[in-house]
Amino acid sequence: MQVQKKSLSWYLTPIALAIAVLLPLLAGMRYFILNVVIIMLIFILFSSAWNFLAYSGQASLGHAAFFGIGGYVSTLIARATGFSPFATILAGGCVAAGIGLLLGLTCVRLKEWFLAMVTFGFAVILQVVIASPLAATTGGWDGIGSPRLLPIEIPGYMLYEYYVILAVTVLSIVCIHLILRSRAGLAFAAIRENEVEAQAAGINPVSWKLLAFTVSSFLTGVAGALMVHHITFISPEIFHAETSFWPIIYSIFGGLGTISGPVIGTVILTVIWEVLKGFGLTYERFIVIGLLLIIVVIFLPRGLVSLPEVLRERFARRKG
Amino acid sequence: MALEFDILLQVLFWGLYAGCIYILLATGLNLIFGVMKIVNFAHGELLMLGAYITATVFALSGLNPYAIILLTMIVLGLIGIVIERLCFRPILGTGKLNEIFLSLGLIYVFQNGVALIWGDERQVLNSPYQTVTVPVGAIQLPLDYIIIIIFTVLILCGLYLLLRKTDLGRAIRATSQNRKGAMIVGIDVERMDMICFGIGSGLAAAAGTLWVVSGQVFNPYIGSIPAIKAFSIIILGGLGSIPGAIVGGLLYGIAENGAAYFLGGIWKDSISFLILIIVLIFRPTGLFGESRE
Repeated sequence: MQVQKKSLSWYLTPIALAIAVLLPLLAGMRYFILNVVIIMLIFILFSSAWNFLAYSGQASLGHAAFFGIGGYVSTLIARATGFSPFATILAGGCVAAGIGLLLGLTCVRLKEWFLAMVTFGFAVILQVVIASPLAATTGGWDGIGSPRLLPIEIPGYMLYEYYVILAVTVLSIVCIHLILRSRAGLAFAAIRENEVEAQAAGINPVSWKLLAFTVSSFLTGVAGALMVHHITFISPEIFHAETSFWPIIYSIFGGLGTISGPVIGTVILTVIWEVLKGFGLTYERFIVIGLLLIIVVIFLPRGLVSLPEVLRERFARRKG
Repeated sequence: MALEFDILLQVLFWGLYAGCIYILLATGLNLIFGVMKIVNFAHGELLMLGAYITATVFALSGLNPYAIILLTMIVLGLIGIVIERLCFRPILGTGKLNEIFLSLGLIYVFQNGVALIWGDERQVLNSPYQTVTVPVGAIQLPLDYIIIIIFTVLILCGLYLLLRKTDLGRAIRATSQNRKGAMIVGIDVERMDMICFGIGSGLAAAAGTLWVVSGQVFNPYIGSIPAIKAFSIIILGGLGSIPGAIVGGLLYGIAENGAAYFLGGIWKDSISFLILIIVLIFRPTGLFGESRE
């Protein structure tokens, strides 16, 4: 079973990559499709970052905070200094990582619901701080414009933007994969399953949890900065709870704690979302997503990636 | 000086009124948490649904809105039982965070279901006592707020009697103290889950009725923030402790209204989370919570 599963992802990964690379050529230069796919890529990165933190047993309900921090820092630096967004995106990620480390410090002793509440509350507080006391720099509720990743004068800039974001996303997922395959991944899993036993085995939960928090908020900050430079606008609305919920929904739907889960979840739900939008549905879209989430949590707790395995098991049981 | 005292009194009173909504939500969540050890983050959606049902019945029948509270509580209690049976019972005892993810789904379904039926514009219900105020000292207190506080006290007293003086209450308390032990002595714990979820949903519905009756605007999205605050109240007060929920609810109500008055309305929501984070930094299990692990 293990071998078969491995070989499946072994074949699927290059195919998925090839599709991602060739997609703009297939879809042509249609702005609409490229735009949807770019946002999808950013959310794949965002969901993977959230999922990375969840892998260490810390489920955040306020990742919008880091998404927004990345966006604001990158935008403000780019506007003030005129640097290319390519450089400021990293700054956005780094500041998000620093704040993530601080929030992580307050959260190391907290578990489950407590952690969820603190992270959620952090995003709420941050929204107010950005919108009100810092309004002079951040533009308050009205928000501010953000420079494009690539100047609009370049012919086919959307295409380049797509490839840049694809490269960042793929690189990040490879990094996550390498970290989770190393000793760190084992330590995360051990802490997630039983913190006391992990400690007994000589793992220091605090430093590993902080590492997970820092890396996750860095990647989230980068995703946020990419998003903001793509849509060329940022306002405190970015800290809305919904921004925190999407990566969770995508990850749960695809498969919590797996590399491919957030990717598959984001792609499938985005397609469903856009198709429903095509039918002119508004509220119904949310109802469908909500029902799908409930069904997956109840009947497929390990997400869509476990579907082949579950079906195979069920089939085998029926046969035997 | 006298003026400042009056303002303080006013803020306190508003806080008491706002606290009532939180207390009802937090008590319901706590009751459910006690027996099932799960949290329904979509609890606020029940408040919202209660608000819409009250408003609809009021518009159709023209009854005194306070008379509708019982009906709303029963309807929502039944809806709560359905939710428990269909959604929460299957995931009982699985991953510790599954109920959060499940609740996210429920939030989307409820908010948009209501938006689909009633539209998502902001609405207001006009209470018959809208303009009546009661003078207390130098300040004028709206009669609606006083009625709401009385209703909350009555509901809490009813709950207290139910939990303390009846066989059902004893069974609920036994289940929340020791689920396995309760099973051994012959208590149908799944029935207790169902009943507690129903009662908890009913309390949320009562909060919803009081919300609309007091003239607060409502739309399909009003529920999430109060519910999350109610949950942070029970974390603050200790999971499963109903007195903790009452103290925490009052504290939040007063702190919020104080912050809104002294710092500006925008701080209303964040002050409660600020309190929560500061408390949890120093006491990771809440004010009255004991560490079990």
